[in-house]
Amino acid sequence: MQEKLSALEQRLEELQKRAEAETDDKKRLKLGAQMDKTRDKIRQTKTGERFSRQTKRDLVAYSFIAPNFIGFAVFTLGPVLFAFVLAFLNWDGNNAMRFVGLENFMMMFGNQRFLASLKNTVVYCVATVPLTMAVALGLAVLLNQKIKGRNFFRTVSFFPYVASLVAVAAVWNMLFSPAKSGPINMLLYNLGVAAKSLPKWSADKDWVMFTVVLFSVWKNMGYYMVIYLAGLQGINAELYEACSLDGANTWQRFRYITWPQLQPTTFFVTIILTINCFKVYDIVYMLAGGSSGVLNESAIVLVYHIYEEAFRNWNLGYASAVAMILFLIVLAITLVQFYGDKKRAS
Amino acid sequence: MKKMRLASLALAVVMAGSLAGCGGGGTTAETTGAADTQADTQAAGAGTEATTAAETVVAAEGQTVLKWSIWDKDLTTYYKPLIEAFEAANPDLKIEMVDLGSSDYQTVLGTQLTGSGSDFDIVTIKDVPGYTTLVNKGVLEPLDELIARDGVDLEAFKGITDQIAVDGKLYELPFRSDFWVLYYNKDVFDAAQVDYPTNDMTFDQYDALARSLTVDTPGQEVYGAHYHTWRSAVQLFGILDGKNTILDGSYGFLQPYYEMILSQQEDGVCQDYATLKTSNLHYSGAFSQGNVAMMNMGTWFISTLIDKVASGEYTDCANWGIVKYPHAEGVEPGSTLATITALSIPTSAPHKEEAWKFVQFVCGEEGAKIVADTGSIPALMTDDIASTISSMEGFPQDEASKEALQTANLYLEMPVSNKSSEIETVLNEAHDNIMTGNSTVEEGIAYMDDQVSQILTQ
Repeated sequence: MQEKLSALEQRLEELQKRAEAETDDKKRLKLGAQMDKTRDKIRQTKTGERFSRQTKRDLVAYSFIAPNFIGFAVFTLGPVLFAFVLAFLNWDGNNAMRFVGLENFMMMFGNQRFLASLKNTVVYCVATVPLTMAVALGLAVLLNQKIKGRNFFRTVSFFPYVASLVAVAAVWNMLFSPAKSGPINMLLYNLGVAAKSLPKWSADKDWVMFTVVLFSVWKNMGYYMVIYLAGLQGINAELYEACSLDGANTWQRFRYITWPQLQPTTFFVTIILTINCFKVYDIVYMLAGGSSGVLNESAIVLVYHIYEEAFRNWNLGYASAVAMILFLIVLAITLVQFYGDKKRAS
Repeated sequence: MKKMRLASLALAVVMAGSLAGCGGGGTTAETTGAADTQADTQAAGAGTEATTAAETVVAAEGQTVLKWSIWDKDLTTYYKPLIEAFEAANPDLKIEMVDLGSSDYQTVLGTQLTGSGSDFDIVTIKDVPGYTTLVNKGVLEPLDELIARDGVDLEAFKGITDQIAVDGKLYELPFRSDFWVLYYNKDVFDAAQVDYPTNDMTFDQYDALARSLTVDTPGQEVYGAHYHTWRSAVQLFGILDGKNTILDGSYGFLQPYYEMILSQQEDGVCQDYATLKTSNLHYSGAFSQGNVAMMNMGTWFISTLIDKVASGEYTDCANWGIVKYPHAEGVEPGSTLATITALSIPTSAPHKEEAWKFVQFVCGEEGAKIVADTGSIPALMTDDIASTISSMEGFPQDEASKEALQTANLYLEMPVSNKSSEIETVLNEAHDNIMTGNSTVEEGIAYMDDQVSQILTQ
């Protein structure tokens, strides 16, 4: 033990000398770290403890991560990896699995319901993302001004987001009742739309996605408004002051100060919105599912298609393959946006 | 400081342990005094619905607990008397019900029977597509050997068991066999001074009758007929002449029926399908409003009506009656659709012999009597049992309603086929599009012809 101690002390001295002679800051830091380690080892040898300080610190940290990580591994990571494998198998959950290679992926392109769901999801996304962003930003800008009842209006616009989906979907379906006597249809009729051409909203194959988009924008605008409000409040007021001194009008202030300053917020909102749009299921199901809970080709979305193939028809392999496609789409969008943002930043 | 670290480590271990406990709910206590452990494993392994609905059955020394999957535990009146009678006859057995919920029962059951840990001894099968799905998955026990061994008389099921055999093997035994009848509201007929419908009506007579009762004054509408949004309520008029089945792959025969209903819808004889669909109106809600003259629905609605009229909840349809389904020209009256509810034993059942005892009891004569006593139609239908139902308090007392319980030909709403679940999707889609006017009748039929033949040739 004495031998070991003196060897360590010698090494420490050596390191110290080297550090003093060293001129490069980076290398000096490195040597400093090595010295710390050696000092800790000396302490460890003297006290006879089993673990070094660093190992102890690491163990404590891991013990804090462990509960969450084990949960994540068992309930998320494991199933996700299993789904990857499953995409190349044919399995009904009980009988033996069979390797089928890319057959599941080939099957998709002959499946009318898959193609319809892909189309509907893309249409939903393309319509919902910009609309929600525009409405949320508009609301945020309005409600960021000092107006009377500001908090009231903020609450009102946030309300749809916290209200129960089942309840508001029922109300929505009542407002947009396909009957001639439905409130919205009555309004349209009085505005001069012929009774024959009144839309049947969520029961109409040409209007159902429109109804869903409208509902979704209304339901989610409050959430994104809050994010935008936070962004707006982070803008330095001096910028507006300087801008006003230069004679800029309201639009110019928005165009040259607010919008560029909100870029990071907009980036975040776009990504979250797009991903959420591809994951849409509940809204469509509640609005267009009817009592049978079956979505038609005019309203079916990807996640619903995965559900029906997996748990109604028990084609678990095929359903996993569709899930992989969904994953790839979301991944691609995120990557494009990510790199786009990086480029702009530099 | 040291203590704190130790504590956090201990905490982490405990949390990890509890998670591991959630994952493996595979072990089951076999028998006796183990009800608590059983309830625990169940709570850990089963889905949320099952967890909340499961009821701890306290088993005495030497008793075996059988787990039975059901839906609508509080709304269905025959579960309790069935279990009580069975337990009285078999003191060594206890039945524990697990309610999986009604709306997606078959989906939840399918999930429960996948993998291990559910330990159901007996499962109720709600519909034919769900049945074939489970048979294809190989999770149901074939019952033929047991039937032969114990000499169960399948003749008494009047041919229904032949219709649910898969490749010659029987995996379920029916205990309820509901069929469709025509419900009518006598008050509506009296007010319009129109004669009540009869047990022998052709579709033309039925159509004319519905039209004669219709009032389209805004605010005081009376609907001559009501069709629930299910595909069966309209589409399956077409198969009652016995010439076609719904799995044919060629659906031209549905055209006259769709045209009849669409024209009724156009003229305000029945409520608009699109509105019914989006408002999610339940058929009982529609009929109980008192402005519907006639509605076709299954016999499961009888016990609801008796119940709710007795409790005073339904006042506008208290004078109801039933008659046989309308029929096509030249077809024997009494041909109608059947929906069976059956019991199966899963391959994973821990107590198969005991489970079979229960299946035999519920599907047998004793069980049939108990089911009939509560106003539901058992699969074993004898004259005796029919009169049990028609003599129930609250059942309409006219002769025609009693006579309506006698059926001539029963056709399953969905015949057994390993493609039935896929075909069901296509038929539902076409029905929805035709009824909402998204496609014409011809387009809808062409769609069905095209898609179903594709499925059949796969």
